[in-house]
Order: sequence, then C-alpha cells, then structure tokens
Amino acid sequence: MSPALRNNVRVFGSGERVMMFAHGYGCDQTMWRYVVPHFQDRFRIVLFDHVGAGASHIFAYSPTKYGTLDGYAQDLVEIAEELDLSDVILVGHSVSAMIGALACVKAPTRFGKLVMVGPSPRYIDDDAYRGGFSETQIAELLDFLSINYQGWAVATAPVIMGNPDRPELGIELTDSFCRADPDIAKDFARVTFMSDNREDLPRVAVPTLVLQSSEDIIAPIEVGEYVRDHIPNSQFVLLEATGHCPNLSAPDEVVRAIRAFV
Amino acid sequence: MTALNPRRDQLEDFFDNAPCGYLSIASTGEIVLANRTLATWLGHDAAALSGKRLYDVLPFTGRVYWETHLRPLLKIQGNIDGVALDFLSAAGETIPCFASAVESAGDAPTVKLAIFKAAERRQFEQSLLKARAAAQENLRSERATAELREQFIAVLGHDLRNPLAGFAGGVRLLARENLSEKGAKILPLLMGSIARMSELIDNVMDFAKARLGDGITLDRNAAEPLTPALQQVVDELTPTYPDRRIELQFAIAEPVDCDRARIAQLVSNLLGNALAHGAADQPIRMRAQTAEGFLQVSIANGGDPIPPEAMAKLFQPYFRGEVRANLQGLGLGLHIASEIAKAHGGTIVVDSSELETQFTFRMPLG
Repeated sequence: MSPALRNNVRVFGSGERVMMFAHGYGCDQTMWRYVVPHFQDRFRIVLFDHVGAGASHIFAYSPTKYGTLDGYAQDLVEIAEELDLSDVILVGHSVSAMIGALACVKAPTRFGKLVMVGPSPRYIDDDAYRGGFSETQIAELLDFLSINYQGWAVATAPVIMGNPDRPELGIELTDSFCRADPDIAKDFARVTFMSDNREDLPRVAVPTLVLQSSEDIIAPIEVGEYVRDHIPNSQFVLLEATGHCPNLSAPDEVVRAIRAFV
Repeated sequence: MTALNPRRDQLEDFFDNAPCGYLSIASTGEIVLANRTLATWLGHDAAALSGKRLYDVLPFTGRVYWETHLRPLLKIQGNIDGVALDFLSAAGETIPCFASAVESAGDAPTVKLAIFKAAERRQFEQSLLKARAAAQENLRSERATAELREQFIAVLGHDLRNPLAGFAGGVRLLARENLSEKGAKILPLLMGSIARMSELIDNVMDFAKARLGDGITLDRNAAEPLTPALQQVVDELTPTYPDRRIELQFAIAEPVDCDRARIAQLVSNLLGNALAHGAADQPIRMRAQTAEGFLQVSIANGGDPIPPEAMAKLFQPYFRGEVRANLQGLGLGLHIASEIAKAHGGTIVVDSSELETQFTFRMPLG
C-alpha cells in the first residue's frame, strides 16, 4: 500500500519548503489544527496519521514493524520518499519528537530541521537518569490504558454534530477526533512508554529545536534539557505554557518559537 | 417560584447537593469550584478543594490519561462525553467515576466537569471484558484441540493402511489356492470388506488433510483411460452385494484430464451409497459418458427418496442419513466426493423422487 494512503497523508499550503507535522500518542493529525494555519501561506504542509490512529489504514499494522519506534520512523521516511521531499522541517510532538529524531538519523537528506515538542528519550528512571516515571508506574499506566481502551475507545472519541461555541472548527466536527484502534493503541502505549532512545540523540545531525512546557508530567523540564544536552546542534526554548500539549493549549507561543527557528 | 427564575439559595442547593459531582478547573489546572457532593466523595471539605489542583484529585494514571487524551480532545472539540476517569480521595483511595466535560472558549477558558460514581458499572464492564477474554481463550484452545484431533486422525489413517495392505495381499494369495466351496464363497466377501475399509480410510485421511489446510490434491493425467478405473471400482464393491444387479453403461470416448484414482474414489463413494441405501430388489444404473466437453457419471437406485430436509445437509461432513445399524459410517463419503468434484472444477447434483434417487457427477474434460 502506498505510504500516503496508509498514513492518511494530506498535503496543502504553498511555499518552497516543506513542513511535516507528526502527532503523538493519544491523538491524530487534528492535534496540529491551531498551529498549521500559521504556516500554510509560506510552507507546503504535510500532515499524516500514524498507523492505528485517525484515518490511517489499520490493516497496514504489523506488531513486528511497529514493535519499536523505528517502525514508525520508517513510515515518515517512506512518506518523504513517496512525495520526493527533501530538506523537510519535521515537527514532532511527544513520542513523535523521538520518532522524528529517528527519521532524521535514517534519512538525513530528506529532513533538514527538527522541532521536538515535549520530547522524552526514555520515560522510566534509570540510575542517574530521571525520566519522570518509575517502572511500577509505567506498568500501572499500561494496565489502566489497556482497560480503558478495551472498554471505552469509542467513548473517548465521541461523535459530535456541531459545536456553536467553536465555529472555527467548521464542519469537520461531524467526524470524531483522535480515534484509535484499541488493540493498536495498547501496543503503541507500550512501545512509547517502554522506549529508550537515549543513544540515538547524539546521532541527530540536523539543527534541532526543543520546545519544553514549563510544567509537563509526561516530559518534565529536566528531560527536555537532557535532550538538548545530547543533540549536538540543538536549541532549547522553555515555553510559558503548561501541560503536555502546548500546540493545543498555547498555539501562539509554539508558533512564535517555531517561526524564529525556521 | 418558576424554573426560569430560581432563587439564589435554590441554585446553590441544586449545585451543592446535586446527585453528581461538579468541578470547574482553570486553564492552569487549578480547581476553581467544587460542589459538596464531590467533596464528600473525595473526603475533602468543599472549601478546601478550591485552591487545590486537578492533579491533586486524580491518581497517577488519570493524570497521564488527562494529559494525553482528555485535555487534547477538550482543546480540539470543546467537550468529552462519558469517559472513564478515576478520582483520588483524601485517604488515597481510587474512586472509579465517569465524567463528561465542556471547555468554555475565550481568553480564560475553564473546564467544567460533571462526575458520576461508577464503581458497580466499572465492575460490570470489567467482568464483561474478562468474559470476552475467557471466550476468546476457549475458542483458541478448542481450535487447537480440533486441529490436534484431525492430525491424530490423519496419522491413524496412515498407520492403518499398512496392515490392511498386508491383509489384502494375503487374501489375494489365498485366492490362488485350491479352496473348499465354502472358502471360495467367503474370499470375495473378504475382498469386498477390504475394499470398503480402504475406502473409509481414504475418506478419513482426505477429510483430515483438507481440514489441516492441504486440501484435496490432484494428480491429473489425460493420457490414461478412465473406463478401467471405473470398472475396477465396480468389481471391488460387487462381492459384498452378490445378489444386486448393476446395469453398467460406459461411453467414455474422449480423454478426460483428471486424477483417475480420485475419480474412482468419488464413484466408489457414490456407488457404495447406492448399494447401501437403494432398494435391494431394484437394479442400480450406472452410466459414464463424455459428451459436449463434459464427463458425466450418473448412478441411480430405487427405493425411498431422500427426505427434503436431509437434501441440504447431504454433502456436509459427518452427515448421516437414516442408516441401518449395520451400515454406520462416518458420514464423510459424500463430503469427500463433492470435494473431489470441486477440485476438478465439477459438480455433483442429486435428484431424488419416489421413482429413483440419482447422483450425477459432471466435470469439464480439460
């Protein structure tokens, strides 16, 4: 299957250079809806859903390929190859910040710059390294998520038929957001929270911007600083915004920081 | 007093003592307002709750779920409906709840949550999930057992062939001896039984193989004549029924691209059925011919028609009609016959009336 079909790729906007946005665990490409409009006048925009999320083709899922973040990174490279993109500015949120870093290592000519929003190379504490989570906590979390996904995957993505308070969202509201295949989402949670990609950080050769929320229980500040310290050519911006999704809660601040970087 | 103009104290009472918990949170995550119902559930003072943060009343897992799923959804679509969300009491206990929430737009958006206790419902859901997991596990183990059984049948069938071949060889050697009159009568009966048994073994093995995914395999050969193979089937079966008349008509004038051993097996199954179920006082008519690009073999017998309700199941495995005690088989014969027909791109059609019951096998010549 074509990577563009498989990953529900959408290409729009105008400009010489390309920005590709990668959503994190728990959501889909709608994650970027408050950020993308600020760039589409001057950049070509590439949006996609990871396999298992949004409108991706879940039949393309293979537990082997997607058993590590590498499989997801491979998809980014395949999309870039199919669209014949080069020198892409890759913006990744949450786990996709790391997936993006892996893609940059795999295909350094396809990707020219990397923006990592709320990155973490490893969620579990390890000796001196503070990831923010204990092993027990992650086990408890995966357990909880697996129960919630089995029973309530549908309830977490309610279909709503319009929202007068949010006219800017338009008719797309009739669809549901951040839908995920329950079985794949369970796997993705495990792959995400068990990942350890610290050794990949020094291999990222492209200029990199690390965007860090001032309060984030998923990716604490010291983790963001760790990423900055281990990617050779990196900048670090501490946002005023709090929470794990500044691209949704403080899009203006995120847009300003990315603009200054690109 | 009207519903449109409630007094302030009525509103407060309605808010504080509602049958659900109310909670409103500022974008910083601070609790702005909580009603008495929720405060009681959580073991807090309502006043003490305001000023705390949402994270203070969520267990660790709930915090992560809020950050990765619920907060993004609220930001994107402005509301969430009936999601599972556990709360944390002052005593550190987890309280299973369901929550719906809306986020107001504007510069200082607040999130308003309505919270329902859901301990029993959660238990019910979990037992449903467990039941589903158990059912899936049962199905898996049943399938594994069934496969093992079929493997066992295939191996057993294979192992039975060798002693039976020895038996057949012995009987053939005996046939050359000078036998008493009684011995000469018994020998053909033995040969008939051997043929019947070997046919049963073939059927069982084919069935097991087809179930194990190998399907019916064909060794086609258009050059060899088919008539002798069919004649041999008749010769093998007749000794068991020395008194039955079989009217044969062979008109195979063209080469047939088929697996002759398989076609013989098919015909043997059909003829064996006719002999077993047909009326003993009426002849069996077997006709094999090639015409208009097809091979057609029909076998007809007299006697009671096949009941209409049995017609639909005739070719299913393990189906047995009204059988007399001494004729019990596995009910695989017609199933295997139809599988062999299918493998040759052909069909078996059955017609049954008071007059006669006729099975017709038809396949393209090549």
